Amino acid sequence: MRQPPQHWIAEDAVKAWRMADAIVMAIVLLLVIASFIVGHFFNWPLWISVTALVVWAVLSYVIVFVIPIVRWRRWRYEVFDQEIYVQHGILIVSRTLVPMIRVQHVDTKQGPILKRFGLSNLTVSTAATVHEIPALPQEEAAALRDQISELARVDEDDV
Amino acid sequence: MMSEPKRLHPAAVIFSVIRILKNLIYVISAGVIAAFGQDMFIYVALGLFVLIVLLIGISIVEWARFRYYIYDDELRIEQGVFIRKHRYISKHRIQSIDLTQGVIHRMLKLTKVKIETAGSGTETEASLSAVTFAEGQAIRDELKSRAHVESSDDEAEEPDYPQEQITLGRLIIAGSTSGSVGVILGLLAVGFSELERFIPEAAYDQAMTWMVSSAVEVLIFLALVMFILLWVLGILGTIIKYGRFQITRYDTELFMTRGLLEKKQMTVPLKRIQAIGFKETPIRQPFGFGTLYVEIAGGGLEGENVNARTFLFPIIKQDEVATFLQKMLPEYQAFPTAFERVPKRTIYYYGFRTVFFPVIALIAILIWLPFVWYVPVVLIVLALGLAWLRRQTAGYAMDDQHLTLTYREFSKDTVMMKHNRVQAFEKRQSILHRKHGLATVKASLLNHFAGRHVILREVNEADADRMADWYSLRQEHAHD
Repeated sequence: MRQPPQHWIAEDAVKAWRMADAIVMAIVLLLVIASFIVGHFFNWPLWISVTALVVWAVLSYVIVFVIPIVRWRRWRYEVFDQEIYVQHGILIVSRTLVPMIRVQHVDTKQGPILKRFGLSNLTVSTAATVHEIPALPQEEAAALRDQISELARVDEDDV
Repeated sequence: MMSEPKRLHPAAVIFSVIRILKNLIYVISAGVIAAFGQDMFIYVALGLFVLIVLLIGISIVEWARFRYYIYDDELRIEQGVFIRKHRYISKHRIQSIDLTQGVIHRMLKLTKVKIETAGSGTETEASLSAVTFAEGQAIRDELKSRAHVESSDDEAEEPDYPQEQITLGRLIIAGSTSGSVGVILGLLAVGFSELERFIPEAAYDQAMTWMVSSAVEVLIFLALVMFILLWVLGILGTIIKYGRFQITRYDTELFMTRGLLEKKQMTVPLKRIQAIGFKETPIRQPFGFGTLYVEIAGGGLEGENVNARTFLFPIIKQDEVATFLQKMLPEYQAFPTAFERVPKRTIYYYGFRTVFFPVIALIAILIWLPFVWYVPVVLIVLALGLAWLRRQTAGYAMDDQHLTLTYREFSKDTVMMKHNRVQAFEKRQSILHRKHGLATVKASLLNHFAGRHVILREVNEADADRMADWYSLRQEHAHD
């Protein structure tokens, strides 16, 4: 675990995450606007809504512009014959080892946003944990899924 | 051998009725209490009677529609009145089989059979609420690969299998250090607040005036008597629950039995053991005692309680653990006694973690309730003590095949894991960690449901990497 894993996830991950986060922040913006309207009718002091707007602006900048790129830079993975090695995290960086023989199943998942960018999330489950490699190009994710499920095939009937 | 579909013992009807009534107890007692002393009472009683008759009827039909049999290495259960449910459980997937005998069971020479698989549910995978004891044992023997070992009754075990029993002295120690006094006090408090309603106002007032007028000494004396009484009750409780605890090691499994009133028997295949642990509560640790438990996938003896562990031995001295394991579970006999502790400088991390909330409380109190400032201050001192203890405790030990992590929340817990039982390993570093050359490690195990994550905070980064190397299958390590 001295060296980080070698492979990066798709560069488009940043765009996809930004889009998802932007949608969430847009909904929050609607709430902020609603607070202006409600405040107008109920004679709230204006500063409440203004503060909300400022907070919204700062948060949006961080969440939509800063975090996805940092997150993307951190996410790495590497699949060996014997194990899977994943790194992720923003402030706290985790590096995880998952032995192939412990893998119970592999999934790929794709929501509407990821689909737009031709990406897929891959999750690897052991009996006790779930690990994710997000936003891989969909063909790559599918190939990796098949590869892992092939490598994870063991006769052992133990859990 | 057991391919004929069978019904449960008719007493299953009783258990079914009791179980449903137990679930309804609050509704029923609320109804009864509400109606108490009113004209409606007779109707409520009548309604209750009808309800019970109805329940008995349903239970009888359910009983009649319930079949179980063993076929083709599978336990098959068919049940349901309107919706038929068939459940097939392969014997290769069974994690543990326990036989439990409540008081009624024992009177009728019956037993309940519970079968656990590594499922992802809180519900027992399969449970036969009442079969004859002989039948229960036959099912157990059939469902596991063990070649016919007769354990006709508790004492008559085969002599050549290693066995350990609990002594009365140990039971008393276990009971007196179990901390159940607190639990009982809590229960009493709750019970009393409920009871209050039934005590006549006048008697209550009288008692209160008496209490207020009595000398402080008398009150203290009373409290002391109460405390000792509860303590003795706790000891009795432990004796009843863990009395005649006995563990036997067979070739491929461990067999535990315990209980004076309710007897429980449990079989744990060795293959299913995920890890073993030694837990020392703050009350027990100073006396050198702790409990030795085993992590298995699937429920334990305690059944419903997720946090309950399956005990290898309910109370054992720290320096006896090695001998015990050598005899009963040589697979784990290398249980370490010396640990590589986390570095001293990590006390800042440990301290920050425990002191954080008390400090916030202190600030809040200084602002709003400055006259009780000493409460959070005491808390902060206690928190610092805890942090110091945690730092002192945290450490790890490793050999070719095992990783042992030891850490403390309040109790000290030492968990020994086999290489091939660790489901995943994680090393975590914050920015500060990186600066200080530290890392937090997490080893994930499979246990009852969601898995258990054993976390050791702030070890030297080099040590974390050593553990990772040990765990990684890529290296040319000679662990099998």
